[in-house]
Amino acid sequence: MTALDALLAEQRLRQRPMLVRAAGYAALVAAASVLLLGLSGWFLTAAAIAGLAGPVVAQGFNYMLPSAGIRLLAIVRTGARYGERLASHEAAFGALARVRPALFRAIAAAPVARALSFSTGEATARIVQDVGVIETRFAMASAPWGMAAAAVAGVGLTVLGGWAAAATLACLGTLLLVADRLATALEAPGRAVQRATGALKDELAAQAAAAAELRCYALEGWAAARIAERSETLGDAVEAQAAVLGWFELAQAVAIAVAAGAVVVLARGHGAAVMALAALAAAMTIDGAAPLVRSLAQRGAVREAEARLGALLDGGSLSSTRQLAVAWPSITFALADGPLLPGARVQLAGRSGAGKTRLVETLLGLRPGERGQVWFDDRDLVDIASDLRREIFGWVPQDAALLSGTVRDNLLLGCAQADEAALWQALHDAALDMRVHGLPQGLDSWIGENGARLSGGERRRLALARAYLRPASWLVLDEPSEGLDAATEEVVIARLAARLTRTRQGLLLVSHRSAFAAFCDQVVSLDVPGWALPGGPPRVSVGFPISAGAAAA
Amino acid sequence: MYSIPTQPDPVSVVLRLKSIVPPTVRLWPPTVLLLGDTVAGIAFAGGLAGAVVHVPAGLSAMLPWLALLVGAGCARGVCALLAARVGADAARRTKRTLRAALVTDLLARAPGGHATTGTLLATCVDEVEATDGYVARFLPARATAGLAPLLVIAAAALASPIAAAILVVTLIPFLAAMILAGGAAADESRRQFGAMSRLSGLFADRIRALPILLAFGGEQREAERLARASEEVARRTMRVLRVAFLSSGALEFFAALSVALVAVYAGFNVLGLLPFPVPEKLDLARAFFVLALAPEFYLPMRRLAAAYHDKQAAQTAVERFPDALFAPSTAPVAQRAPETAPRITLTDVAIAYAGTDTPAIRDFSLDIAPGTIVAVLGPSGSGKSSLLHLLLGLAPLSAGRVTVDGVALGEGVTLAPASAWVGQTPLIITGTLRANIALAWPAATAREIEHAARRAGLGPMLAVRGLDAPIDARGGGLSGGEIRRIALARALLKPSTVLLLDEPTAHLDPVAEAALIETIRTACRGRTVIIATHSAALAAIADRTVSLEPHA
Repeated sequence: MTALDALLAEQRLRQRPMLVRAAGYAALVAAASVLLLGLSGWFLTAAAIAGLAGPVVAQGFNYMLPSAGIRLLAIVRTGARYGERLASHEAAFGALARVRPALFRAIAAAPVARALSFSTGEATARIVQDVGVIETRFAMASAPWGMAAAAVAGVGLTVLGGWAAAATLACLGTLLLVADRLATALEAPGRAVQRATGALKDELAAQAAAAAELRCYALEGWAAARIAERSETLGDAVEAQAAVLGWFELAQAVAIAVAAGAVVVLARGHGAAVMALAALAAAMTIDGAAPLVRSLAQRGAVREAEARLGALLDGGSLSSTRQLAVAWPSITFALADGPLLPGARVQLAGRSGAGKTRLVETLLGLRPGERGQVWFDDRDLVDIASDLRREIFGWVPQDAALLSGTVRDNLLLGCAQADEAALWQALHDAALDMRVHGLPQGLDSWIGENGARLSGGERRRLALARAYLRPASWLVLDEPSEGLDAATEEVVIARLAARLTRTRQGLLLVSHRSAFAAFCDQVVSLDVPGWALPGGPPRVSVGFPISAGAAAA
Repeated sequence: MYSIPTQPDPVSVVLRLKSIVPPTVRLWPPTVLLLGDTVAGIAFAGGLAGAVVHVPAGLSAMLPWLALLVGAGCARGVCALLAARVGADAARRTKRTLRAALVTDLLARAPGGHATTGTLLATCVDEVEATDGYVARFLPARATAGLAPLLVIAAAALASPIAAAILVVTLIPFLAAMILAGGAAADESRRQFGAMSRLSGLFADRIRALPILLAFGGEQREAERLARASEEVARRTMRVLRVAFLSSGALEFFAALSVALVAVYAGFNVLGLLPFPVPEKLDLARAFFVLALAPEFYLPMRRLAAAYHDKQAAQTAVERFPDALFAPSTAPVAQRAPETAPRITLTDVAIAYAGTDTPAIRDFSLDIAPGTIVAVLGPSGSGKSSLLHLLLGLAPLSAGRVTVDGVALGEGVTLAPASAWVGQTPLIITGTLRANIALAWPAATAREIEHAARRAGLGPMLAVRGLDAPIDARGGGLSGGEIRRIALARALLKPSTVLLLDEPTAHLDPVAEAALIETIRTACRGRTVIIATHSAALAAIADRTVSLEPHA
């Protein structure tokens, strides 16, 4: 049993009362529909025959019972359908409310390279869609029960017409076989849609990145045509999918027509009233299979979504072996002259592409590291669990990534226990307190997706405040001055200096800007002549401490 | 300046939704097919009634009715099949037009110039696809819902005017329920749809932000938050669904009630036991026909209710389309490229992208003499690329003035026709080296292409693999330097008078960089050149350097 199966099985168990209720109601709906139509047909025909036989027979015809039955069945059907919808959706939402966080935990616990591969827009969109598909599966779990109840009720009524029952069952069986075939046929266009969507996005991304070149060489029409070509491939796949879905509808309608026709022929010997009853009951029996047929149409999508989510969950879970925490470690890079002592202010230097950000991400356990590159005190980086290593650092990432949420949400990520005063102090040190004071809801103002409502510089300063809040021994600032004007930068640096003196934290700085760099007393250079391996492992090669005097000069 | 959340008001959303279907897309074929389904439904009822009536007369008398029954039943299926197909076709045309417009918009923006490029990508693909059901199913269903019940009423009236009247009367509470469901409940369910997509958004956001969550050890906390939010949305959704299902239950109840009323009326009528006088006496055929017809009356309206979800999905999608899509487009202006290297003058220029508070560049002035090389230095994010994009019309000129030989750039007038471009991620297509270079100037002869390739320093590659060397889209087998040289060959092939270079030596090792800089130096001859870079070695070939200071 895969991890996903286990998760879904657990949810099925939790939602069992709801699922059972949904199945019961579905059965009631289907059976009531068959009985309602059958009874109506019989009542009308029998009444007409009685009416034709003259007033005496008509007076003797028991109309009370069937007409009451019709009303009762109509009410039962309506009520049961309401109950069925409510129960099945309750089960689906209830299950989903647990599947989503479970998936999130599984992703977060996966090996870091794989976990972070999900954080691209495309992979994220996939997961969200797949989770949605799982929801439909829960909502449709009652479909087979409805179909079974319709079949039982249908046989119960059509058997009054002799062989009509057999014909009805034959039509029902054929419909299910055809629907099964169609569901298989639907898998290919379903996959084609996935593929074509991916190809279209790739093409779009490539052309959008080259917008300037396209504009210079008047290639926009050419690019649009290439994109349109991919779009047409997607269009073909979507249309093929719609065509197969159309066949489902045709199969259902033909099955109803043939069943009704066959029952009319087979049951005619039992009189018009029974025949009317059997014909309408047969039609409704087939109709009762409609939810099951619809869920069959989803089968391919459900399987693929489960396969993808299953692969995602199977990566195993992170077992954090709580080791001795490394509270205020020194950091030693391979080939460096000596360790970076706690409280040191270090600039990581190197040209673009030299791997400065890669090195920072390795320290933070956001990239797999290699043995023999970095040591914390005298322990190799790879021997310390990532989550423990992460506690050493307060980090401002290069892209200053923020959570979509409020200012407070983002700050509390740095330190969940921080009180109001600590939050404002951190904002002050990041020179963002005035700005947040000016927001309509202060700390609880919504900053939009990835902080879209803030400017680039404000995003960076919020990320800085978040890093300040972290009770860590080293601050890691990746391009902290990007997007800051000179005046703001000056304030930020002055307050950072005061803060570092107060907290005695160390500083690892990646920055091109001299104002920040002048603040450091040591430099670690990652430049190695002749070396540029984008995507390769980080290689820290030359580290040379410089004196504070030299840096200030 | 804290901007108010940009929640489009419902009216503009409705207008947007209307405007996405281009006038060339015809919606009558699926509508007619759905009406055909209703007609076939009427025929099905007729066939059933005929068959029942003719049971005493034997199978041969029943046969024509039987044929009508089965034929009409199959015809319904065919109508549904064809309606699905033509609906899908209409949706495809709509999506094609929409996507073409969005792509034009996407290509007219600076790559990575602002946060929304990634969102735009999703918009071009996923949001466009989300309009499918609205065009394919909802619109035809809505058009049909107005007409099909009239057809059923007319058919029923032929058999029994009173039964038809009963149907019309039950329509009143049905419509009242529908209006209730479509008013208050629809508002609720729209909000709910929004809450559900925000929850998906939260889930997506936390996966996107996984690097910082891991770095700050916040994954457990966020998983709990996600769990709480999911439970909360599930609870609220169920509250709303209770109302929504209740209103659809009401619809169904009235539909069932009207069927039961028709059945009881027709039954009592044929029995002759009605407690009040009516001006019609039904026979079995008519009675059975109207009974079988009654459910058909409500079918189109229930189909519409079932397609409502498609409308909501489309509504959510159009809210995310860029406003530019719904604004009248500006016609391109015919422009002439300067024939000699021009003077480019920027005066007090500011560039502010839509949706951001802070301009990427402001109060920037620069005068570039004809045929000179200017290097623009500054850290990443200081607006170097934006400056180059401005000249090509890919970034907005928010303030100030840009002139080329005294002619102002502006709406539709750019430097693009005169310019060649070398960036850090050149466009590479699957095909030959020749095809890749020729993109810049399709009219070029083979000699010209080869000459450009040699001048760009691709000589060694030509010697080994020739101009017809195959190249794949990822540039596999090519070094970073070779890819830049292909871009440089393009720039040399196009008879341009302006050369714009955006970090052309980024990510190259010093040896490769030095070699490339030499080639760039020769390519600059006779052109007005702007180089955005933070490489000091590259800046050394410039006649002038200017520094950009970033702004907060």
